[in-house]
Amino acid sequence: MKKLYALLFSAFMLLADNARADVNPADAENFVKNVTQTGIEELINSNASTAEKKERFTKLFNQDLDLDFIGKFVLGRYWRTATPKQQEEFISVYRKLNIQTWSERFDDFKGKHFEFLGTENSKSEDQIFVNTQVPMDEGKPASVKWRVKKTGGNLRIVDIIIENVSLAQTARSEYTSYIQKSPNGIDGLIQELKAKLK
Amino acid sequence: MRSLKTNIIIMLISAVLFHITLAWATDDDSALETYNRAMFNFNTAADDYVIKPVAKGYRAVTTEFIRERVRNFFGNLKEPATTINHSLQGNFADSGKSLGRFVINSTLGLLGTFDVANGWGLPKNKTGFDTTLAKWCVPDGPFIVLPLFGPSTPRATVGLVADDVADPIYWADYYATFGNDLERYSFYYGLTTLGFISLREQNIELLDKLTANSVDVYSTVKSAYIQNRLKIGSCAGQKTENNDSYDFDFDDEDDFE
Repeated sequence: MKKLYALLFSAFMLLADNARADVNPADAENFVKNVTQTGIEELINSNASTAEKKERFTKLFNQDLDLDFIGKFVLGRYWRTATPKQQEEFISVYRKLNIQTWSERFDDFKGKHFEFLGTENSKSEDQIFVNTQVPMDEGKPASVKWRVKKTGGNLRIVDIIIENVSLAQTARSEYTSYIQKSPNGIDGLIQELKAKLK
Repeated sequence: MRSLKTNIIIMLISAVLFHITLAWATDDDSALETYNRAMFNFNTAADDYVIKPVAKGYRAVTTEFIRERVRNFFGNLKEPATTINHSLQGNFADSGKSLGRFVINSTLGLLGTFDVANGWGLPKNKTGFDTTLAKWCVPDGPFIVLPLFGPSTPRATVGLVADDVADPIYWADYYATFGNDLERYSFYYGLTTLGFISLREQNIELLDKLTANSVDVYSTVKSAYIQNRLKIGSCAGQKTENNDSYDFDFDDEDDFE
């Protein structure tokens, strides 16, 4: 009987192991390497015009960031109470605003170089963390952690955690707090976000 | 004579502690939140009308070379606090390195304005009493907004005051013999203000970006501040930073409120 349990247990562990291996660490790391290279080392440091940079950023972010997923997350429980029209409108404006915000974030890393420090598992089977650090002019290097998710065979970034601060968690606190206080709820938030678009 | 800066900090903290105690006494989280938001708005107004314009003016009349000298000067004054606190945390090698930095930079580095020690393999490795308390298992307490100093917690506030006492400006103030009271006050108050403005100047772009795209700046700052503090670590000597805290799940109703 004990042997049977042991057998079952090891079979279970094998399965669990397989589930963990859903996202190949090396693939995830290469994927982030590619994004930082095209996004930062090539794009930001290039002499392209602002308009051209914006166009290339838009393409890069639409392709490599899972903004539908992030958008759902940042609305928290309000996502479920939103009407399909509100959901669609929110994702649309959130996508545009993020491309704007993230290009600015990437601008902060101008002339900087990312060092890759391996990966860490996530609780979710389809996700993995890629650890990097950026040497700064003074003091300790800044830690930048990338949360990578596998969706339909493709790898996508779903969060960037800079010096322990998760952009997705921070946006979630901001948006849920806004909706809670706003008399117009989600519609108020959508209007406010539209006003932020340049 | 107690440092004017310390007097101001103690005064501000007494005011804040009064509000926190009140919030706790009435067992009402929203009382603290109300106080925090009011103080946050006050700080924002002070920043919009006074602090940020002065920081921009400072940037306009100085070159980056001068600003770096100023940053290094004030950074060097934090070195004694770093030395003491590395020792309190049991990191005696780091404490020695920090002391070496202070001695080298204060002399060869011309009163700390040049970071000579960095080039000699003694890079900056700052710590403070807040981190020491964290390693000693002192809990952090709730998020509070201090007048002018901004986001903090009770433990971070205690750290702020303790580190200030280790600042050579404080000692100099205590033992100063030159000039009359007014001259000494002007000197120290001027230095403290310059340090504050230099700090604000370094963060002009950062804060502009943070506020530009935010619909609720207070919530953004609060969330980012709390997350960032987790990297200080805990008393077990391990980082409290845990990937679990970033693992998100839509169906979890209780992970925010």
